[in-house]
Amino acid sequence: MDKKKSLELIKLEVLGCLNEKDRESLKIMKESNEDFPWKELADYQNLVALIPSALEIKYPASELKDKTAMKLYNIRDEIKAKIDAKKALEIPTQPVEESFEAEDKFELEEKIEVEEKVFAEAEEGFHINADEPLPISQDESFRIVSNFKEKEEPKNLISETHDKTEAPVSKTALEKDVIEKIARDYIKGHIQDDIDLLTQSVKKNKILTFIFFFITLILIGALYFIKQ
Amino acid sequence: MAESNSLTDAEIMLKIAGYDSKALEQLYDRYAPFLYTLIKKIVTDKETAEEILSDLFVIIWRQIDQFDFKTNNIFTWLVTLARNKAIDVLNRRGGKMLPDYSDEYEKQYIIPKLSADVEALELEEVLNRKGKMEKALGSLTDAQRYVLELSYYGGLDQEEIANKLKIPTVTVKSKMQVAIGNLMQKLTEAK
Repeated sequence: MDKKKSLELIKLEVLGCLNEKDRESLKIMKESNEDFPWKELADYQNLVALIPSALEIKYPASELKDKTAMKLYNIRDEIKAKIDAKKALEIPTQPVEESFEAEDKFELEEKIEVEEKVFAEAEEGFHINADEPLPISQDESFRIVSNFKEKEEPKNLISETHDKTEAPVSKTALEKDVIEKIARDYIKGHIQDDIDLLTQSVKKNKILTFIFFFITLILIGALYFIKQ
Repeated sequence: MAESNSLTDAEIMLKIAGYDSKALEQLYDRYAPFLYTLIKKIVTDKETAEEILSDLFVIIWRQIDQFDFKTNNIFTWLVTLARNKAIDVLNRRGGKMLPDYSDEYEKQYIIPKLSADVEALELEEVLNRKGKMEKALGSLTDAQRYVLELSYYGGLDQEEIANKLKIPTVTVKSKMQVAIGNLMQKLTEAK
C-alpha cells in the first residue's frame, strides 16, 4: 500500500506538480520508509528528462557564449572566495601525519615557485632581493606564492638549504674515533713534513750548540796554558 | 580540441568542480543546444530563453558543489536544472507568488535532488533514442499528452490544470499518473 502510494506521488513529483499536502506526505515517506522505491524514483526522474529529446533541436545565438563568459567573469570574486574556503576546509581535515607530508610538499613547491620567480625576474633584469616579499600578482600561481610569503617570515633560501645539508656532529665513540682518524690523516698528509723538518732542525741546533760549547772550553783551556 | 571532445561528461564535471573554465566551455558546447531547445519550449521567447541558458551555466559554475558525483547522472541533472530554472522564470513573469530568489531558494527549488539509485544517462545515447521517445509520446492519448505538456512544459500544478481544463483535480492527478506510467511502459518496450 505504501509503495503504491509512494509511486503515485513519485509520478507527480517528477513532473513538478505536487501540491503542498502531497509534497509533505512524500517527504515523510522518503525519510521514514526504509522500503521507499528509490530505484523507481530514479527511473521516473530519468524518464521526464528524456521527454525533451523528442523536440526538434534549436540553437542559441553564437554570441551567447561570450555573454555567458562575461557573466562568469563578473562573479570571479565569489568563485575565488569559494576556492579559498574550499582550500581552507581541506587542509585541516587531513590526518596529522599526512598534513606534515603535505606541508613539506607545499614548502618544497613554494620554494621551487619562489626560486622560479626569482630566476625569472633575474632574467628580466629586475632588482632581486630574496628577503623582500614578492609582489602580489593577479596570477593564481603567484597569488599562492604570496599567501605562503604572508604566512611565514621571509627566508634566505640559500643559507637554509646549506644549513639543512650539514650533518650534526655525533657524540658516539665510534664517530669520535672516525673523527680522530680523519684528523690524524689530515695532519699526516699536510703537516707531518713540516714537523719532521722542524725536528731535524732542532737536532742540528743541539749538536751545533754542543760543538760550540766544546770549542769554547778548548779555547778557554788554551788561553790558560798560554798565560802560564 | 580532440582531447576535449574525448572527455566524458563525468570528467568534464570533475574539472568544473576544480573551477576549470575550459571544462565549463566544453559542457556548454555539448549541452547548450539541447538545454536551449527545452528552455525555449517552456518560455517560448528567444531572448528570455537565451538569458536563462546563460544564467544556467552561471548556476552550474557557482553551485557545482551541489552536484552529486556519486550518482554522476549529468544528463538528468542538467535537464532537470534547466527545466526548474525556466519554469521558475515563467512563473515569476506570470505573476505567481514565490519566495524571493536567493542562494537558499536556488539550492532548495532549482538545484535538482536526484535519487542515488540511478542509472546515469549519456547525451549521445539520448539523442540516438529520439525516435523511440517520439513514438512513445505518440502512443499516449491526446488528453494524456496534453496534461503531460501542461505540467512539464507549462509548469502548471494539479489545481491549475484542473482549473484550466475545468475538470476535477482528482481526474487531473489520475490522468497524469496514467500518462507517465504509459510513457515509461512504452519506452521500456521500445528498448
